[in-house]
Amino acid sequence: MQPDQESKPGGVSRRQFLQGAGGAAAASSMLATLPQLALGKDAAEPAVRPGLKRISATGGNITLQINGQPAQVAITPDATLLRAVRESHGLTGAKEVCDRGACGACTMLVDGRSVNSCMMLAIDAVGKKITTVEGLVSDGQLDPVQRAFVQNDACQCGYCIPGFVVRSRALLNETPKPDRDQIKAGLCGNICRCAAYVRIFAAVEAAAKGGQA
Amino acid sequence: MNYRLDNRVALENDAPRVDIVEKVKGTAKFTTDYYLPNMMWAAFIRSDYGNAKVMSSNLAAAKAVKGVLEVVLDKIAGRYQGDRIGYICADSRQAMEQGLRALDLKFQARYPRARLEEERTPMADMKPADDEARAQQALDQSDVVVEAEFQTQVQTHCCLEPHGCLVDYRGDSALAYGSTQSNQGSRQDLARDLGLRPDQVDFRCEYVGGGFGSKFGAGNEGRLAAQLSKKFKRPCRVILTRKEEHLDTGNRPGSIQYMKIGLSHDGEIRGGRVTTWGSVGPTGGGQDTAGGGGGGGVRNPSRYDFGTIAKGHEDVCLNGGYPGPMRAPGHPQAMFAVELMIDHLAETIGMDPFEFRLRNETSDVRREMLKVGAELIGWKLNRKKAGEWPGTIKRGFGIGAGDWANRGSDATIQVNVYRNGLLEVVSGAQDMGQGYRTMIGDVVRTRLGLPRELLVVKVGRASYPPAPASGGSITSRSTAPKALVAAEMARDGLRKLVAAEWKLEDIDGVKLENGVFTADGGRSMEWAKACRLMSGDRFTCTNSQNGDFFKPSMQTHSEAVQFADVSVDTETGIVRVNKIVALQNVGLPVNRNTIENQMTGGVIQALSFCLFENRILNLMNGAMVNPNMDMYKIAGSMDVPEIVPIIWREDRNTAVNSLGEPPIVPTLGAIGTAVANAIGAQVRSTPIMPDKVLAALSEKGGVA
Repeated sequence: MQPDQESKPGGVSRRQFLQGAGGAAAASSMLATLPQLALGKDAAEPAVRPGLKRISATGGNITLQINGQPAQVAITPDATLLRAVRESHGLTGAKEVCDRGACGACTMLVDGRSVNSCMMLAIDAVGKKITTVEGLVSDGQLDPVQRAFVQNDACQCGYCIPGFVVRSRALLNETPKPDRDQIKAGLCGNICRCAAYVRIFAAVEAAAKGGQA
Repeated sequence: MNYRLDNRVALENDAPRVDIVEKVKGTAKFTTDYYLPNMMWAAFIRSDYGNAKVMSSNLAAAKAVKGVLEVVLDKIAGRYQGDRIGYICADSRQAMEQGLRALDLKFQARYPRARLEEERTPMADMKPADDEARAQQALDQSDVVVEAEFQTQVQTHCCLEPHGCLVDYRGDSALAYGSTQSNQGSRQDLARDLGLRPDQVDFRCEYVGGGFGSKFGAGNEGRLAAQLSKKFKRPCRVILTRKEEHLDTGNRPGSIQYMKIGLSHDGEIRGGRVTTWGSVGPTGGGQDTAGGGGGGGVRNPSRYDFGTIAKGHEDVCLNGGYPGPMRAPGHPQAMFAVELMIDHLAETIGMDPFEFRLRNETSDVRREMLKVGAELIGWKLNRKKAGEWPGTIKRGFGIGAGDWANRGSDATIQVNVYRNGLLEVVSGAQDMGQGYRTMIGDVVRTRLGLPRELLVVKVGRASYPPAPASGGSITSRSTAPKALVAAEMARDGLRKLVAAEWKLEDIDGVKLENGVFTADGGRSMEWAKACRLMSGDRFTCTNSQNGDFFKPSMQTHSEAVQFADVSVDTETGIVRVNKIVALQNVGLPVNRNTIENQMTGGVIQALSFCLFENRILNLMNGAMVNPNMDMYKIAGSMDVPEIVPIIWREDRNTAVNSLGEPPIVPTLGAIGTAVANAIGAQVRSTPIMPDKVLAALSEKGGVA
């Protein structure tokens, strides 16, 4: 074994790969739609598929449907949905914790399904309905899941709780009457470091008894 | 469950925590949630390896990235992965990240000191302890001598909110947000770094996403943010990544614990030798990791009467991140070894481990807890002799003990009663999730008999009345007695107004119960109406005295005993915890929700340490193999057992004891001894992974 070793230059983390791949995928899908023959001298700006927008590497605007409202969000092509919503749109309920889909703190609903928004590119969320934890409150009324979290003290520091609340909402949409094991399995993508799990399980059980939102 | 019912909270209170609505709505603002206008992003440049020299870098390329404002490399070598060797500052996060990539650092990594067992001074070469001769005498006079060695791994805090700070320097003042367990300490740090007076720095940490001991002071992040904000006259944000969290924010040090103990045939421990080794950073303990340093100390022996012990300890330097205080520093790892040793001693002389503990227990409170806990877990009913459970999945039962010596500190509580009846409690301590806001508000509110609707609690700003840093389980302990007195001062102030209104000579005739003032002759007045008797907009009471609600320090301990029920699959080696009964002395209980939540949370965090978590260093280059949350395993929902939290008999003389450390101390010992009971062999090393279980079984000669 050679004790001395050098770091590999340009090692690619999963994160960078995701971000790079997202940009590339967007670019290649754009290119794929080009009628090759039309690529002449006067086609400096390539035509793109309807609905697909070109975002330059230095950034541009997209429209996202966030909590029922269209929102103009300034992003770069490599921005994740989480960063777009937190840093450009200013809704900071969803948290960046592991930044690689291992903890669930960034959970949002995309077309009704829970996703780790740190693992989804913002451009991939265009045209989809995005609901954040803030959006579960309607007309000033807490979602039954949020109410149950309050009543059962399902929280300690609260940093993971937006993710747990949104994931629990999705879980109850998928399985309206889960038993304890289904709740545990349904929440296994979310981590609470303070470990308020006992109270979180009780809250989801209570919300399930309280019926659908 | 009469123990629960008999010991209902003294201040009968099951209300939800006061700040939970903001938390479930996502509107609670943590440090990381502030993005100030014109804000810069900055980060440390760090060593990639444990013992490495920078061979090349492309500083020019990093500086050339659009939006990068400053790149500084001020060290050419790193002594642990994550060691700070420079920093970068940029207009945006994207520019900062691009700049870091463009820097293209190349290191030459040399063999690191990465394994505690290899780098420690061997037992034979350790300096003799002071009591060596007397300990040897105790061993000589013993009927039986037993020795064993135990090992625990490094655990990282992995607070979900990363360490970080935002500083906005404005010339003659500054606004700062920090994720900290000590907001007033942080203000001092930043004022010093910015060259301002403390009163010129508005430091806030109204919500903190966990600390667990790793967040004292403004830390290196605060220092960097202050330095850059002052230089560029712009707000600066320094928030660590998850990887940095694992590498450079402190950790619970790893340990090796050797014990050689002598005892009599009838179960009296005579004494012996305990030698421990703890892992620390490359230059020792107590270094300037973000959030304060710590040593590698192990609190072994403790809790049981071990007779005459000669204790030796060595802090062993490794090329890994520096340790820091972590929930009951030195205690959980010690109790893992102590409980297994106690079992081992009992087995050697053929005594039941439960009876052996009763005999050698040093605390009367815990002795009683042992009896109650044994009943609740079904010790006599369910437990079989070690390894005698039939079938391939074997159940086992174990015991863990712990406590925490309570200390108090200076603190001041302010209570404001407004003319409209609003009750405001203000304190400069911080709530990192332990429920401080709730506890302090409920103490005052219940003392006055007022509903939650009238209560507003303000904590987490350095400008609020002084309070201790939240470490060592002292926040509630220090503040609750002062809050009780402040509540009584507010009550008496209003009684005075009511007495004057009723033309009574003194206030003795005026009573306040459930928010209503009464006096002889059937006179009564509602709280809200009494408040309108004030001439000003509010009535302010500030108190720093303990009054009658506090026993002097060290007279009370928050005793804890836990029992574990586990199942071990002898074919796969997988351990599952079925149930934990946790008994906890909390002094005067205030809010049942927050107490039980913190107890069960402590148990799960300790379970996670016992079975899963592990900082793994690459032995070739000292880099952490798993600096993330997918490979650094933390217990999740599927791992949570049934937990029965028992609030021990209230003690009104003790005031309110904090719960940061005590519930986390006994769990490892309870699970460790339960696993041994299940399989008939001790796994003497944490985390208790399947390979270690199978190895212990195979060493024993297979399943019985």
